[in-house]
Amino acid sequence: MMTMKKRLQILLGALAVVSVGASAQGMRGWRETSFVPTPGGEWNGARLADGQPDVSGHWSNTIGNHNNLTDPQGPLGVDDEDGPRNARPAKPRSERAPSRVSDPADGQVPFQPWARAKQQEFLKYLNNPTRPEYVEPFARCAPGGPSKSFMWHGYEIRQFPGYVVFLFDSGNRVIHLDGKPHLPPNLKLWNGDSRGHWEGNTLVVDTTNNNSKARLGRTGEFVSENATIAERFIFDPGGQRFTYDATYTDATVLTRPFTITIPNRKVTASTPVDDWNNLTFPAKHRGNEPIIEAYERVCVEGNGNHGQVVAAK
Amino acid sequence: MTTRALVLLAGLGLPLLCGPPGGTPAPDIPRSPEGKPDFSGIWQSLSGADYGLEPHLATKDEPPGAGVVEGNTIPYRPSALAERAKNFAARATADPRHKCFTLGTPRGIYGNEPFQIFQRPRDLTLLFEFGHPVRTIHTNGTEHPDGHIDFWLGDSRGHWEGDTLVVDVTDFNGELWLDRVGNFNSDALHLVERWSYADRNTIRYRATFDDPKVYTRPWTLEVLLYRRLEPNVQIIENYCATLDYDEYYPVPSKLESLKGK
Repeated sequence: MMTMKKRLQILLGALAVVSVGASAQGMRGWRETSFVPTPGGEWNGARLADGQPDVSGHWSNTIGNHNNLTDPQGPLGVDDEDGPRNARPAKPRSERAPSRVSDPADGQVPFQPWARAKQQEFLKYLNNPTRPEYVEPFARCAPGGPSKSFMWHGYEIRQFPGYVVFLFDSGNRVIHLDGKPHLPPNLKLWNGDSRGHWEGNTLVVDTTNNNSKARLGRTGEFVSENATIAERFIFDPGGQRFTYDATYTDATVLTRPFTITIPNRKVTASTPVDDWNNLTFPAKHRGNEPIIEAYERVCVEGNGNHGQVVAAK
Repeated sequence: MTTRALVLLAGLGLPLLCGPPGGTPAPDIPRSPEGKPDFSGIWQSLSGADYGLEPHLATKDEPPGAGVVEGNTIPYRPSALAERAKNFAARATADPRHKCFTLGTPRGIYGNEPFQIFQRPRDLTLLFEFGHPVRTIHTNGTEHPDGHIDFWLGDSRGHWEGDTLVVDVTDFNGELWLDRVGNFNSDALHLVERWSYADRNTIRYRATFDDPKVYTRPWTLEVLLYRRLEPNVQIIENYCATLDYDEYYPVPSKLESLKGK
């Protein structure tokens, strides 16, 4: 079995600015170039004692990492430590997964002109961060934020009466199902403040209090802290897939709302361990049934302030 | 309730929260559908243990405390005492808390910020406000993984003894502190926690430390954990490490200035 240190090395390797190579390796077995979004509807699958559809367990996205928001299997578009691998696509665009921006139809974030220029600036300096704000905050172990957390390693969903809890590789997130009011609006958080409820097979989540400091991809897309996010987690009743839809509304940065769509697949005991999508291992126990667990998820503790060094240049 | 605990509570000026004598189950405690005590909720220690596990007088930065260690003193080996003295001298910067590292186990339990317990039959999920990390206590009969793994939060396997959750914690990395004044353990620590309800809104938490590299014998601390009962109280993510670079990422004022460029 892999030691924690080994696992940390892999994590750190993947987290560092040189992320693409290691990550792309891990993604290979999972990569889909197309997918059919799960339709909303009734839930006919298993339920928990409190009536929630039982979707607990380990999951991972199926199209790619956070490198490029709108061309998940495409090049980053700027020079990278990985050089040619990121400079040019391996396959024609039509054979790569579609943009995660599912609306508008052109697959691009509907930026106001100044914001598009800013995104281009963030991208241009991604690998040569001459100013602290050019360092992608995820590289500093900041949480990925509501959407980008689903563009990274496999993660876990745990459910409890009144809550759905996401354990991500970088940060954790609680969806409150009990209808309590949002936090005071001036409290802005990396993962926002989420209220949700179930409609059939769909977890409907209203996420406010976003500090929006997490970028939406290494390609530099961003929104402001005035953004609100309407998220829909649409689960296939077979329990093996779900589609994540997040509609961003933000008059500060956008000309109109846009939607991010990310397909996800269940990680089970029979899923090959690839140290990217599947970070689980078989638990030691005397029984015969397969039980999988994940190692503790930490980042700051093991990352040696990565990013601070870059910022200090 | 022991005489020592009574004295401790009286010393803290806290109202007496006395469970039934003789360790019989508290009658009116939350229970899971399976009949086990249900520790779900948001909890916080008022013990002041994070300021110092042993009895201590006030400084300008810390309140005084009667301590939470049974027998008052942690039985350090001489070499470990010297290391604690070094930690103490450097505590203004060397406390891993200042690097926003997870407080770890058990410091996260009696740290100054709250944590939330989510409970299922197979495990307890502990979500700490400070740093927002999660510790899992497995209660599904699984065992510690083979070999020694350097975990920040340790590897926690629990089982029920009546109405007490007994948790065996191993696989520490020995890089964290136990409080703000430099008390510490090594990677060889074997921790046994005992969680039980004192009443429906109070958990009695005991932790016994066995770490031959650092201590001459096992020792025990005890704190009470109080349920946070404010309406709509919730854990607010405290990604403390992000505060060092928070200013560099877009906020309205910065966006406004960017617009002008």
